[in-house]
Amino acid sequence: MYLTLENVTKVFHSRGNVGEVVAVQNVNLEIQKGELVTLLGPSGCGKTTTLRMIAGFEFPSSGRIVLDEQEINSLPPHKRNMSMVFQSYALFPHLTVFENVAYGLNVQRLSKNVIAERVGRVLDLVHLRGYGDRAPGQLSGGQQQRVALARALVMEPKVLLMDEPLSNLDAKLREEMRAEIRRIQKELNITSVYVTHDQIEAMTLSDRIVVMNEGLIEQVGTPVEIYRFPNSRFVANFIGRANFIDGVILAQQNSNATIKSLGETITLSNVKHQFREGESATLIVRPEMIQIRKSGGLYRGTIRQAVYLGDMIEYTVDVGGVTILGTETDPHVTELFAEGENVTLEFAQDHIQVLPEGKSAE
Amino acid sequence: MCRPELYMWRSMKTTSALPKSSKFPDTGVQRRFQEFLLIFRDPVLFMSLLFSGIFIFVFILLPILRTVSGGFFSKEGGLDLTYFARYFDSIYGPVLRQAFVDTMVMGLLTAFFGTLIGFIFAYATVRCNPPAKNLLHWLALLPTVSPPFALALSVILLFGRSGLITKKVLGINFVSGMNDIYGLDGLVLVQTITFFSVAYLILRAMLERLSPALEEAAASLRASRFHIFRTVTLPLLIPGIAGSFLLLFVESLADLGNPLFIAGNRTVLSAQIFLAVIGEYDYQKASALSLVLIIPTLVLFMVQRYYVNRRSYISVTGKPSGAQITEKDPIIRWAFNITAYLICAFVILLYATIVYGSFSFTWGVDFTPTLRHWTMVLTRGVEAILDTTFLSVLATPFAAFLGMVIAWLVVRKNFSGKEILDFSSNLGGAIPGTILGIGFILVFNKPSLALAMIVYAILAIFFVLVVGRNARERLIILLLGTAIGFFLTRMESMQVHYLLGGLYFILALIHFLNGRNRAGVITALLLGVYVMSANWANAFAKPIADFSRSLERGFWSNAIFQFSDHIKVLLQPPPSLLAIFLLFAGILLVQRLQQPLARLLGGIVALIIPCTMSFMEMPFALIGGAYIIMAAFIVRSLPASVRAGVASLQQIDPSIEEASNILGGDAQYTFRKVTLPLILPALLAGLIFSFTRHMTSLSAIVFLISAKWRIVTASILSEWEQGGVSIAAAYSTLIIAFVLIAIAILNIVTIRLLRGREGVDLSQL
Repeated sequence: MYLTLENVTKVFHSRGNVGEVVAVQNVNLEIQKGELVTLLGPSGCGKTTTLRMIAGFEFPSSGRIVLDEQEINSLPPHKRNMSMVFQSYALFPHLTVFENVAYGLNVQRLSKNVIAERVGRVLDLVHLRGYGDRAPGQLSGGQQQRVALARALVMEPKVLLMDEPLSNLDAKLREEMRAEIRRIQKELNITSVYVTHDQIEAMTLSDRIVVMNEGLIEQVGTPVEIYRFPNSRFVANFIGRANFIDGVILAQQNSNATIKSLGETITLSNVKHQFREGESATLIVRPEMIQIRKSGGLYRGTIRQAVYLGDMIEYTVDVGGVTILGTETDPHVTELFAEGENVTLEFAQDHIQVLPEGKSAE
Repeated sequence: MCRPELYMWRSMKTTSALPKSSKFPDTGVQRRFQEFLLIFRDPVLFMSLLFSGIFIFVFILLPILRTVSGGFFSKEGGLDLTYFARYFDSIYGPVLRQAFVDTMVMGLLTAFFGTLIGFIFAYATVRCNPPAKNLLHWLALLPTVSPPFALALSVILLFGRSGLITKKVLGINFVSGMNDIYGLDGLVLVQTITFFSVAYLILRAMLERLSPALEEAAASLRASRFHIFRTVTLPLLIPGIAGSFLLLFVESLADLGNPLFIAGNRTVLSAQIFLAVIGEYDYQKASALSLVLIIPTLVLFMVQRYYVNRRSYISVTGKPSGAQITEKDPIIRWAFNITAYLICAFVILLYATIVYGSFSFTWGVDFTPTLRHWTMVLTRGVEAILDTTFLSVLATPFAAFLGMVIAWLVVRKNFSGKEILDFSSNLGGAIPGTILGIGFILVFNKPSLALAMIVYAILAIFFVLVVGRNARERLIILLLGTAIGFFLTRMESMQVHYLLGGLYFILALIHFLNGRNRAGVITALLLGVYVMSANWANAFAKPIADFSRSLERGFWSNAIFQFSDHIKVLLQPPPSLLAIFLLFAGILLVQRLQQPLARLLGGIVALIIPCTMSFMEMPFALIGGAYIIMAAFIVRSLPASVRAGVASLQQIDPSIEEASNILGGDAQYTFRKVTLPLILPALLAGLIFSFTRHMTSLSAIVFLISAKWRIVTASILSEWEQGGVSIAAAYSTLIIAFVLIAIAILNIVTIRLLRGREGVDLSQL
């Protein structure tokens, strides 16, 4: 493992010892060389604190941070060989673009030629050739973002840290820069840790996603794992949308389980947990896993609300007193249901995730 | 369709069974220790902290402490409450109590009227769009750059017993018993004009940052204009109004110059303290009175800082919120504008009078223009003028830079005792200068071995912790360095300087042998030459002094003679102060040495020098010298530059410094390359404030002047006492002119330097 966090905990003390806030609690994380890992979670979940501990701006209250087999717990930031892209870009306003990018190389007292060569190369990489003499204030938000990225990349860091780097850009530009960051990261094979609260950003960028909540890691996995097999209600809710439907396990054999829920008995083929017979469970059903048809489905329900969104239609359906959200994304379906209409529902049973009740409590 | 089997069930929930609220195994002490280690990891950061801490302890806290406790002990050292008891007996009691009451009445009235006028000015300039707004603004600031009693002098020239207006224009002949300008009424008038600028700046900043949306929201709810003012504007301004009221109160109590000039037969505490020292040489009495004065001052200061400021809804550090509401009602608008203009006219009149006064033959009798006072000032007074300017200039960069460092520590760094650093750095400016002056005399009049030992011990321990690699090395450096250093103090001063200089040459040699570090070699050589040059100072200075004596007595002769003194100041600083500087320089030098033996030897050599310096001659016996005056200057001007620095730093995104940090810059590199350029406007503002405060300070240095070091403000006072009104006026004019020139120069420099970046914000003055 290249970068490892072992039982890392950070406690913040308010002045005068009055109170303490556990910002990060017992975080264990292993990151491989060349991997891009995203820390994802709502604000205040400890993701930025974790990143700042990796950077060296905060020091862990307990636990170890190991980089390349060397403990770096108490190493100050300027000795860590990392670089960081800040949410606010943090470009030096009194320096030109060139001087900004060259800053770290100047600290190392490299020769002028080497600096010019390396800065030129990295400015090429972020498509900013010819902007070297400008002041950061004269650039657009996207360009400033590229300068910040270039300034971090030019250091050829052991780890590249990014703290919500795209949150100040408008939607269109954000999409563009997302692809750009991923392209460069792959091209240079830089180990990266990326903090965001935007699930789409996390899904599109990451090799692996770390979902955090209230200082704890909820789940670590590839984007597909996280989406398909959320291991808690929080994860399922934070990434994508989900219906949480109560059920009772009737029988289980390996990953095949027979479950009674919404008054019907279904058999699921992809159950990860081992349940006892008769145990209560929660079914996680993504809206797009639900097929809504006039007839032929297993469940019967009544449309409560229908919202036409263009690329899909969103239905709120009442099934025996339980409200279920379903979406219709298939363009071949021309049928539109009106509010109050009776319909039938069918779940894509291979994709349903089942959690024991405790796991699903929020 | 993807097959789910492909995806390993890798995710794990990695939490332990620890409940959220569990106590972690670090106690307060341990945490403090960790904090300490964190700061310690960056020696430059720690050095700046240590340096600020030592400066504040030695020159602010210790003197105040000595003054406060001094009132309880008689000359013989026994506990003695005589001077406090006097407040309650029937002989001294009535007079003392009357003075106390007068002091408080003066403070209250000055605070009230000053805040009122400040508000009128602020409202006029921000909301009423007066013609010649900038002129109004600069005129309102004029009192802050003039010596403390300039206005008292001018008011007396105009309204005194032989005043231009009272006698010449109105033809009043004052007889005993008539209400003249002397007394509390005149004092409050003068103080109000002197201090209203403070209120103006605070309230102006608040008004500018008051979001117009709030008042517009109230208007959209159909509130009448008066209703809005009463329920929205005023409540939001209350913290500012309260804050300026308290600050003015504090300033008024601390003022010495004006009461000495114009209080007449009334007396206030600051003047009582002054007379106790200057008239009776009774430090116990002065200390006792100081305690009586310091209690209300401190209480008000703390209420202002910790209560009023926290209550503020408007963050004064942010930028003005752009668009301002303008006053539309012409009656209200012009009522404010005209009042402001009238006050401005009065201010102009007062300053014009000072200038006029310096040119008239005998004020009150013969107003014919003459240059005779100026000739006097430029011959007899040139000494004081040059000394004051020289010391002010010398202390200015130091004060401004120290201010920036403290501001940086306070805003950016987290450490125990930060509050204390912040508070005490402000304390030196807030407490009455007379109290500080007495404290300086009590602490620095005699050599203080104890103080020298404390300071050296702290520094030496820090030195070995940074320089030594392990406990044994540290112990060797500490013991050998201190022992040899202490031994050297027994030698004769001249020899010591040569010897210590020689040690620097050895250090240079070590640097040369150890990796041919050019910067290290040159620095060590230069330090060596500098230390030795203390011996040559007289050789430099003597020819200049001789030359000046050969000239005919007059301006040039005096001026050149002073120059020879100034050289000595630069080359012969008090060893006990130089030691602090040399110790830090030693750390930076030795840190560059890589080889263990070189480090060890270098460490010992670099510790010997400050050790000898700390204890040679008479440590910390600074009274009578130039450095104690500069220290007083710095203590007085520090709060202004700290405030300017804090305000500026709070506007800079901390991640800009973090960016430099993670790109490889340590604290010192970051401060030099990023923070300092960004707070340059604040630094320049700090320079202006500091220079102004230095040139115009009286109360703190009035006890510190000596035959050799004279200060203009004190000269004005003595001229005034001898009846030289016009000479006093000429001196005052000169100081104001100097300060204005300095501000103009710095402004030009700023504009050149910042090329279009945001200019110097003078509103922190």
